[in-house]
Amino acid sequence: MAIIETKNLTYTYPGATKPSIVDVSIKVEKGEFVLITGPSGCGKTTLCRCFNGLVPHFYQGELKGEISVSGIDTLKHHTYEMAKHVGLVFQNPENQLFALSIEKDVAFGLENVGVSREEMRKKVDWALNQTGIYDIRERSPHEISGGQQQRVAIASVLAMEPEIIVLDEPTSFLDPLSAEKIFEVIYRLNKEQGITVILVEHRLDLTAKYTDHLIVMDEGKVRFEGDPRQILSSEETRLIGVGIPKATLLYQMLKKEGLNLGDKTPLSSEELADQLLEALSPQ
Amino acid sequence: MSVFDGLRFRKVYSPIHNLDPRIKFVYVIAIFVVAILFYQIIPLLVLFFMQIPFVLLARVQRQWLRSLRGAAFLATFIFVVNVATTYFTSGYLLTAANVENAAAMTLRFVVLVESFSVFFLTTSPDHLGLALEESRVPYEFAFAFTTAVRFVPVLAEEAQTIMDAQKARGLELEKGGLLKRIRNYVPVLIPLIVSAIRRSLELAEAMESRAWGATKKRTNLYLLKLHKGDYALLAITVGILAVAVYVHFFVSIPTIASLL
Ligand SMILES: Nc1ncnc2c1ncn2[C@@H]1O[C@H](COP(=O)(O)OP(=O)(O)O)[C@@H](O)[C@H]1O
Ligand SMILES: [Mg+2]
Repeated sequence: MAIIETKNLTYTYPGATKPSIVDVSIKVEKGEFVLITGPSGCGKTTLCRCFNGLVPHFYQGELKGEISVSGIDTLKHHTYEMAKHVGLVFQNPENQLFALSIEKDVAFGLENVGVSREEMRKKVDWALNQTGIYDIRERSPHEISGGQQQRVAIASVLAMEPEIIVLDEPTSFLDPLSAEKIFEVIYRLNKEQGITVILVEHRLDLTAKYTDHLIVMDEGKVRFEGDPRQILSSEETRLIGVGIPKATLLYQMLKKEGLNLGDKTPLSSEELADQLLEALSPQ
Repeated sequence: MSVFDGLRFRKVYSPIHNLDPRIKFVYVIAIFVVAILFYQIIPLLVLFFMQIPFVLLARVQRQWLRSLRGAAFLATFIFVVNVATTYFTSGYLLTAANVENAAAMTLRFVVLVESFSVFFLTTSPDHLGLALEESRVPYEFAFAFTTAVRFVPVLAEEAQTIMDAQKARGLELEKGGLLKRIRNYVPVLIPLIVSAIRRSLELAEAMESRAWGATKKRTNLYLLKLHKGDYALLAITVGILAVAVYVHFFVSIPTIASLL
């Protein structure tokens, strides 16, 4: 059974004249690394808010269609019940940390659900280690960099041991190097802990290589869903305004000029470099 | 750097900082009570000097002096009013005893300020928040307190950014009379408030997503535990109270004027 499944999900914010997501039907399997992309304002954040019930419980408004997350109908369960299953990491790292020390922030969710102190300590330390911030656990959020803050935010949802982690443009406030570190942390959690990851990103250059399930949204609708190599090589995707990885673009240009590098569309510079080396090396 | 630098809290470690905030608070209240108990200058002087070892141990003497300097104006006022009232009510007589009395009243005020400032200078906000959580204060208050402290430097930095941006567009903050100057700050305040509201919405969303309000029986990562130092301070506090009560009832305290 799919871990997330939506059918014709349509949602309108209170007071809005038109829905922010329209007829969204997607399916995510357990353990997948899913990438969602699309131009600003196309409804990516709104869709993320559906996954843990912020929409409609926190935002009110009108939600139509069906949604099931970890086998739970989010329409019938509160966001605090979903917190054990789905962790949401937001765009601005600063506004999701409230405590005066990092470990206290990581413990926040566990404190809220009433986990005992000994168990909490273990889970907090585990989450701190998984995200590589154990050594700075006693600092205050103001004293650390944006990249570290975002790792604290990831640790703080990770401590709840969710089956799914949803990250909404987690690196848009970060420099490329910190961003890459965040992606590596996420990728490792997906591979080693088997956590299902849903990542909303514009930086496909850095992230397309991690996924084999891409969702492209536009104007509230899902425009493409499936194999990123196929979707990213189509002309339409580029026209919507999706940032196609440079390697993919170069591959297509070379292909048009008649240079055949094989059938596999590359998603990262590494992949393209390998293909080029192979094509250029004398047999 | 920023004009708001003073608002930033810093983590300092000293034997006094490590004390349990609840015991420290009890100590401050005890000093408070003893200061109220006496109106003679000698015991108040003793109380005043008794705080100094704490200040030195905590290494906060500079901040402490600053807070005393802050109280100086009010202290002078209290002294003058006291001297004046006795002067007029006693038939235009200025005696040494009266001046000493006024000085004692002033010193009492200074002792109160001094002990509270030692408490706040040596108690980190997270310690204080924790103490609030473990007392029967509803968790929402403790949370609001620590979160407010957490966002002070963030908002201060933002205010600075907005001020710089508005100045770059020609806003002159330091110009004109008092009213004009206050009005100058409107273009700084409005963006600051708007952004604070947006921030609070995002915070609320993040709190909800991390199971805020899931159960009434919330647990806590930290536990305040009493250590040796705390028991020592508690013993000192009880000792001070006992001596104070004994002296108050059984010892007649001379005035300095009578000793001379
Ligand atoms: N809290 C809200 N209230 C009303 N409308 C909103 C709210 N959040 C987003 N919207 C609207 O919903 C649409 C989709 O926004 P969003 O989901 O944030 O897109 P994205 O994350 O892809 O940039 C936009 O038109 C936006 O104006
Ligand atoms: Mg968004």
